[in-house]
Amino acid sequence: MPTPSITPEILFEARRHFLKLGAGALVSSTALSQLLASMPEEIQLSFTKDPNPLKLTPNTFEQVSNYVNFYEFSTDKTAPVKMAQVMKLKPWSLGFFGEIAREEMVEVDDLIAKFGLEERIYRFRCVEGWSMVVPWIGFPLYKLLDYLRPNSKAKYVKFTTRHEPDIFPDQAKGLFASIKHPYVEGLRMDEARHPLTFLAVGMYGKPLPKQNGAPIRLVVPWKYGFKSIKSLDLIECVEEQPLNTWQAMAPEEYGFYANVNPHVDHPRWSQAKERVLGKLTKQETLMFNGYEKEVSHLYAGMDLRKQY
Amino acid sequence: MKTLIVVLALLPLGYAYYTLESAIDPIKMLYTTTGVGAMLLLLLSLAPSTCQRVCALNLLRFRKTLGLFAFVYALLHVSVFIVLDSELDFVTLFAKSLKKPFIYVGVIAFLILLLMALTSTKKLFARFSRYHKAVYGALVLILLHDFWAQKVAGAFEYGMMAIGIVLVGERVWHECRFDMSKRH
Repeated sequence: MPTPSITPEILFEARRHFLKLGAGALVSSTALSQLLASMPEEIQLSFTKDPNPLKLTPNTFEQVSNYVNFYEFSTDKTAPVKMAQVMKLKPWSLGFFGEIAREEMVEVDDLIAKFGLEERIYRFRCVEGWSMVVPWIGFPLYKLLDYLRPNSKAKYVKFTTRHEPDIFPDQAKGLFASIKHPYVEGLRMDEARHPLTFLAVGMYGKPLPKQNGAPIRLVVPWKYGFKSIKSLDLIECVEEQPLNTWQAMAPEEYGFYANVNPHVDHPRWSQAKERVLGKLTKQETLMFNGYEKEVSHLYAGMDLRKQY
Repeated sequence: MKTLIVVLALLPLGYAYYTLESAIDPIKMLYTTTGVGAMLLLLLSLAPSTCQRVCALNLLRFRKTLGLFAFVYALLHVSVFIVLDSELDFVTLFAKSLKKPFIYVGVIAFLILLLMALTSTKKLFARFSRYHKAVYGALVLILLHDFWAQKVAGAFEYGMMAIGIVLVGERVWHECRFDMSKRH
């Protein structure tokens, strides 16, 4: 992986060159701009490819990166694309606290080095009725949990989005904020340890675009999209079930589990079908978003109408 | 002037037509443009009589055009619901309409606009004009429908509601003053 020090090095070299040349500066600055132009625009990540056994067809990068719910910026779907560019992603350390062997803060780059990267092509279904297929890049959450070694009191995992009102304008609005900040999500320990549960640092072979929850986000493919919390700041292992933000906002509409379920309607709209991004026709929503075989045992004996 | 209004009223439709190809969530985009078009035009159609009372500016001759365009957008909005969203599956469509308050509130509002549009010819308007006060009921239902359609209401919803309150409030205030002056 190229390190962030590359750009300064090039500039440093070019500057020395510039000083040496003195009056020939014009030539040098052309050389500099040529150098800058020839630099790779985006870092490509190295990762193990997903063999895509479900034969899913991903949406385009343009669709996925221009249609986001990032309420820390705006409730609009496209406004965060520009607004999120103020985010500074390096350094970005993630805090691990609670019922674990050793509490610590770790840089995202160090996590990538520790756990390696793989691709996961997943369906993504929003509670609002739209869906997409995204090739995420990251590592499964259980790898991190194995490293953190939760103790016997750790029954749930709590996730928190970074709280930094200077970057996220909605967090600075106090009473007038669109939702409660910072955004919180939670998973039961067995859900968190499920091999499908994923921490993404990239998509489409590249680091996550800022508006898609850079530098690191959760992806839980069998749950409604709001469970897949963005721009993580804290991961805590806790004893009590965390109160996730949308449940706190409207408990009769959004629950803790939020499993994709075509048979349980949202009180205001139906969940039986979904609009695939970019299409004028709709498709049937699948139980657990098509991951029923893999995850239904987690919910054996539960009334999914009550535990929505 | 009338041509200008027609052109302005057709803008949202033109926008929908040109962005349909590249729209990321096309059904949602059509819902939003037709819905917003209907709401804005309905509010605009209430403005001429306010203008007449407040600044003695007579724009009443445009009221019918604006109202009918609001109805056209509402009709397109309902068509998106029936054709694209429900895919002509009438059983699910009726079940949804009866079960989901946000939908039946919209349906009732649409029926009011439909009756008003049907009785908007010169002849029928003379007989039915007093029933056209139902437009205020439709307005309240439409604002509610828009509120319920969002995960959280934003600036647009509060803005629409504020404009609605100003337009209706001015009428109420005017009526009260009129009542008082009659008593003296």
